[in-house]
Amino acid sequence: MFEEPFRWMEAISTRHSYVREKLSKGQPVLGVPFDEGALLMSFTPQPGKVFEIYDRIAIGGLGHPADVERLRMTLLEMAHVEGFNRSAQDVTLSRLLQFGIAPALKQNFEEVQRAPYLIQLILAEISPDNRIQFFRLNYDGYWEMFKKGTVAAGNDAVREWIQKEIEKTPFETYSLEQALETACRIWEQGKKEGRSKEEKETESESPSRPESLKEAFETWTLEAAVLSRTATRKALFRHLTAEEIDRARAALVK
Amino acid sequence: MSEPTENKRTSGDFLEVLERFGYRWQARLEHSGLPRMSDLPQGTTVLAFHFKEGIIVAGDRRATAGNAIMYERCDKVIPIDDYSLMAIAGVPATAFEMARVLSHNFEFFRRSQLQSMSAEGKVRSLSRLLKENVGNALQGLGAVSPIFATFDLRLKKPLIYFYDMLGAEFQIQTHTATGSGSPMIRGILEHEDLWGPRPLAERSRDEAAQLAIRLLQTAAQFDSATGQARPKDKIYPIIALITQNGYQFVPDDEMSGLFERSMSRDR
Repeated sequence: MFEEPFRWMEAISTRHSYVREKLSKGQPVLGVPFDEGALLMSFTPQPGKVFEIYDRIAIGGLGHPADVERLRMTLLEMAHVEGFNRSAQDVTLSRLLQFGIAPALKQNFEEVQRAPYLIQLILAEISPDNRIQFFRLNYDGYWEMFKKGTVAAGNDAVREWIQKEIEKTPFETYSLEQALETACRIWEQGKKEGRSKEEKETESESPSRPESLKEAFETWTLEAAVLSRTATRKALFRHLTAEEIDRARAALVK
Repeated sequence: MSEPTENKRTSGDFLEVLERFGYRWQARLEHSGLPRMSDLPQGTTVLAFHFKEGIIVAGDRRATAGNAIMYERCDKVIPIDDYSLMAIAGVPATAFEMARVLSHNFEFFRRSQLQSMSAEGKVRSLSRLLKENVGNALQGLGAVSPIFATFDLRLKKPLIYFYDMLGAEFQIQTHTATGSGSPMIRGILEHEDLWGPRPLAERSRDEAAQLAIRLLQTAAQFDSATGQARPKDKIYPIIALITQNGYQFVPDDEMSGLFERSMSRDR
């Protein structure tokens, strides 16, 4: 089918643009540190963006829900089987990514007959020596590590802008409340930046999505969870409570 | 670690996942010759009863094989999740493995299904493991008769179950004990509950812990497979409590004082 190199290149690039196009509406998910751990947050039309994987590992994702679910299950299974056979300490994100998920995603471009995974993930981990690490995993299996936090977003411009903003902000010194509020503001600003770029490039139709925090709080749900170093349980993950979300809402939407 | 498999079943059952990854509960013992039962470490006293704030679960620390004492620091009360404990009597290899499977099973279920397993589901999971173990138990290998204690988050109520080695589960309203030393103390528990200063369910944390220590010392008097406390070596019974806030072990530094008080007659 792809005897000629050119055809192969073409197939691959078609595939890339197909996935990108599909992901372009994906809503941003932010992962940032705070003084006691790591925070993952996103605004979503339906819950299902931020999940617990293992005692010290959480993920946030965007893309096709079925694909997010498939990768989430893969991560869950690998983490639990590894934790069972060896020890919870042997379950680390870099191992899960390097030996588990990344090769699976690389299949996106190796088996061209198969429907590709439509996904972008961010992963957060508190290592056994209490360091906080963030990873971003792309649909093609490429992954990067970030110390100061990261973001997944379907729109490249939004992603780049928010990433820069996260790196400029001293999140690791913030309290949880401060970190959540700042992340929400960056989310809002990021959406604006993305839109203005989009408008320059194309005369896009008026966006129906929530544009401001006020709209986002009204129509969608703020989903947020933390991995907390101060948790007394073995599992460091918890979703923020309704009260904590309400407090953030009260502070952000006047 | 292996490649993710297609057609995943997503019932949240960890044992199923383990089996897909090649784990076999039964296989290891099927072709082995039968050792004498006395070669395997076993023998114990563990007990649980309801007290004012929840459940107390306690156990001695000795592991024996026949008439040999193998280990004096065995922890027979094992945390399964934030709200559940398992107290084990029987062959430790099987019991510890059951505890590990269980704790991964509950966590895997909670994380994959995005809700906690119901208390009833937890109780049944242990029953299922015991049933899968029946073959080994009947061969004289790996028989386990555990106590399972958990806090039911929906009913807001602590629950105690004991099991026979075939997997039948029995809910207990007052108290239970299992292991070779348990016959020595079951009568005392009943006596204390009916005619002691207060019913067990009305006793405070300290009173409950004190009674547990005394019961284990008594069991150790009559049963060689139940270990005495050895304060000089800092070996004390293991005592844990389950309340609405989850489980909590009585810390070592508190145990020494508690043990000393328990060993003198009430005034």
